[in-house]
Amino acid sequence: MTTFYGLPGAEAFWHWTTLVHFLLVALAGGTAFYTAVLGIRRPDAVRGLAWLALAFIVLDLFMLWAESPARFRFSHVWLFLSFEPASAIWWGAWGLATSALMLLLLALGLGPARLWAGLLALSSSVVLAYPGYALAANAARPLWDHLLLAFFPASGLLLALAVLVWLRPAEEAAPWLQVAALASLALAALYPVALASGGADARLALVLWLRGWGWFLLGGGLLFLAAFLARRAPALAGACALAGAFVLRSWIVEQGQHSLFVHGF
Amino acid sequence: MARYAMLIDLAACVGCAACAAACVLENEVPPGHNRLWIRQRELGTFPDLTVEYRPEQCLHCEHPPCVPVCPTGASHQTEDGLVLVKAERCIACAACIAACPYDARFMNPAGYADKCTFCEHRIARGEDPACVETCPTGCRVFGDLDDPASPLHAWIAAAERVDVLRPEMGTAPKLLYLNTPSKRGLARQESEVES
Repeated sequence: MTTFYGLPGAEAFWHWTTLVHFLLVALAGGTAFYTAVLGIRRPDAVRGLAWLALAFIVLDLFMLWAESPARFRFSHVWLFLSFEPASAIWWGAWGLATSALMLLLLALGLGPARLWAGLLALSSSVVLAYPGYALAANAARPLWDHLLLAFFPASGLLLALAVLVWLRPAEEAAPWLQVAALASLALAALYPVALASGGADARLALVLWLRGWGWFLLGGGLLFLAAFLARRAPALAGACALAGAFVLRSWIVEQGQHSLFVHGF
Repeated sequence: MARYAMLIDLAACVGCAACAAACVLENEVPPGHNRLWIRQRELGTFPDLTVEYRPEQCLHCEHPPCVPVCPTGASHQTEDGLVLVKAERCIACAACIAACPYDARFMNPAGYADKCTFCEHRIARGEDPACVETCPTGCRVFGDLDDPASPLHAWIAAAERVDVLRPEMGTAPKLLYLNTPSKRGLARQESEVES
């Protein structure tokens, strides 16, 4: 039996606001990436999309600022006064800032639009990728497997497409939605396999995953429905994709932060 | 430059938690949080029973995973090997808390990541950390691993065993446990710091 005098810092350090951030940053990155890809071909046709992506970024940054216990110290300025290339969040900050600038230029129609769209494709890829990197970098949290490096960009793009399929012509976004849903589904299916093939900690994580397999079944089922309905009923597919990807991402973020060390030796 | 480290002889620790109390008082640790805590385990089967008390805190790793994940450089490692947090730079993103394999960090209500500093303000005055000074059984010792005259070396040489927490993490902790009761009878482990 193990007991403590005092307790280690093993409680959850991220809360529901963080789950909303993970949703908003996916909407921001995915919409910006979609804007960039369309903008490279048709720069004049993406002004509305650029405003939408910009709105998601502003909303996400406001959310991050509002939930931070350091919000009135304005220490976030150090994100841009430091050089920390090993930090996923540093990359995320620069990705969001650069994307916001490119989106503003595209939305206002200023300068060489195709160049801005190309740069936006790069910066929005960073925004899509950094949440998965921020999780997978933590060897101490075995539920945050390296597979998340692929799952979070794929499901992030899917979340954005789930919204875009309601706002854009269905024939434009629906094929993307189908591909992103299938990719996310395949990666979600591989997730427990990746956990099972890890070391002792990862096997503990697999036990933890088995306690939440119902959430994965629900999320995976919704992703399957999204892929199946993408071309038949795009609006419904969008709703399924939004719910499914949000459930899976939120479960991974929420459950993954719990310490396994506190219960072991 | 020094390479500060701490040893705790678990065979001598009685779990009185004087170190934890001293830490709270010395560093004004906010209520509900701990920079140092004691893990108590009951080991063995009747009649061969023992209780192991293991104080835990930041291990000031040689390769601290909490430092590279910090996006502002708030979490940093000094030239003396101490792992510290510049509170004024911290954005409270909790990336360092996620990265720590030892649950040693917490979010200070004032809005920054907080943890054991080995009482760096006391070290600067040439004093031992508060937990070392307070321990009534003298089971802790603090010093410079690069100083041949440091008592660390004599303690390590005399120990039956030297262990670090979670060696598989590759963090090379600089808080080492000597004579761990639960490891009695097992082969001596040469820690990464010793070599």
